[in-house]
Amino acid sequence: MSSANEATVIHVDNTTGKAPVTAQPPPAAAPTAPVQQQQRKSGGVPFLLRGGADGFRRCMAFVDLLLRIVAFGPTLAAAIATATSNETLSVFTEHFEFRARFDDFPTFTFFVAANAIAAGYLVLSLPFSVVGIIRPKATVVRLLLLIGDTVMVVLVTAAASAAAAIVYVAHEGNMRANWVPICMNFHGFCERTSGSVVASFLAVLVFILLVLLSACAIRRRPC
Amino acid sequence: MSTSEAATVLPVYDVAPGQGEPSKAPGAAAAPSAPPAAPAAATKTTARSFPMRLFHRSDRGSRCMAFLDFLLRIAAFGPLLAAAIATGTSDETLSVFTEFYQFRARFDDFPAFLFLLVASAVAAGYLVLSLPFSAFVVLRPQTTILRFLLLVSDTIVLALLTSAAAAATAIVALAHNGNERANWVPICMQFHGFCQRTSGAVVASFLSVVIFVLLVVLAAFAIRKR
Repeated sequence: MSSANEATVIHVDNTTGKAPVTAQPPPAAAPTAPVQQQQRKSGGVPFLLRGGADGFRRCMAFVDLLLRIVAFGPTLAAAIATATSNETLSVFTEHFEFRARFDDFPTFTFFVAANAIAAGYLVLSLPFSVVGIIRPKATVVRLLLLIGDTVMVVLVTAAASAAAAIVYVAHEGNMRANWVPICMNFHGFCERTSGSVVASFLAVLVFILLVLLSACAIRRRPC
Repeated sequence: MSTSEAATVLPVYDVAPGQGEPSKAPGAAAAPSAPPAAPAAATKTTARSFPMRLFHRSDRGSRCMAFLDFLLRIAAFGPLLAAAIATGTSDETLSVFTEFYQFRARFDDFPAFLFLLVASAVAAGYLVLSLPFSAFVVLRPQTTILRFLLLVSDTIVLALLTSAAAAATAIVALAHNGNERANWVPICMQFHGFCQRTSGAVVASFLSVVIFVLLVVLAAFAIRKR
C-alpha cells in the first residue's frame, strides 16, 4: 500500500457509522483517478493560484481577460486615427482643392469599420471571459470565444493587410502602373494611416494569442 | 471498527484509457478481511491488454470529425495551388509599344501579388505536410495534443493567407477602379488577362481562407469533445 503505483483501495464499511479513512488521496498528477476528493478546500491559497486543471484554466482565463483589455486599445486607436485623418493642402487651383480623407479610399473605410467592429467585439466579450474565470469547467463559453476570436482574426487581418497595401502604394507608388506616390504631398495623412496599420497588426497578434489560449483552456488535460 | 460485518473493498484501477497494464491493487494485503464472495459488490475496470484502442465505439464522433478535418484539408489544397499558379503565370504583354517602352504587366511589378504567390504556395505546402498528421488523428482519435498542434499551426497559416489575400484584393480593386483623389489610373482597361487572372486567384485564396476557418473551429470542437 505504500508504493505510488498501486491502485487506491477504498474500504467501505457496511455498518452504520463512519468508515475509517485509511485510503490515501490519489496523486494530483493523475486526473483519471475515479475518486475525486471533493471536500479538499484550498483555504488560504489565492483564487488564481490554485492547483490542478481548474486552477490552470482559471489562470489562462485571467490572461485571456488581460489580453482582451490590451487589444482594445490598438483597435480603437486605429479606427479613430484613420477616421480623423483629414488633410487639406495649402495649395489649391481654381477647380480643385487638394484634400485627402479616408473616405476617398474604400480600403480605409473598410479598415475603420473592421477595427470598430473588433473594438466593440472585445468589449462585449469581456463578460464571457469573466465567466470563464469564475467557472473553469464551462468549456462552452471558451468555445464560443474561440469561434468569435477566429472570425475577428480573419476580419482584422484582412482590413489591416488591405490598408497596408494601399499605404505601401501611397508611399512608394508603382512604376509599371504609373501610380504616383501621394505621400510626398500628404504628409500627415500618410503618417496617421501608417500608424493605424501598425496598431491594427499588433491587435492581430493579440487576437491570435487569444485563439491559442482558448484552445489550450478547452483541453481536458492541461497542456 | 466493527468486526461483525466485513468492510467491502473496492479495488480501483488507476488506468488512463489507452495506456498499458494497470497497476494491480495490493491483493488482500491491506484489506482487513477477504473481499466478499459476491463479485457484484466489487467494481472493477477491465484491464486493457491491447495498448492502442482502435475502432472503439465511443470514438465514433471524434473520428468522424477527424475525417472531416482530413477532407477539408484536401479541399483547401486545390484552390491554393490554383491561386499560386494563376498568379505566377499572369504575365501579359500588350501589342502596343512605343520606341522606349513596352507595356507589360507581371506579378513581379506588384509586391502584393508576389506576397499572394508566396503565401499561397506556403499554405499549400503546409496542407500537404499536415495531411499525415491529420490521418494519424483519424486512426487514433484520443490524441488531443496533435489536434491542438494542428490548431496552432492552422491559425498561423490562416493569418498569413488572409493577409496575403486581402493585400492582393486591395491592389486588384485599385487596378479595377483606380482612385480619383490620388490620380491612380485603373490599369485593367488595358491589361485584361492580367486582371482576370489575378482576380480569380484572389477569389480562390479567399475560398481557402474560409476552409481554414472551418478547420480551426472543427479542431476546437474535437478537442472539447474529448
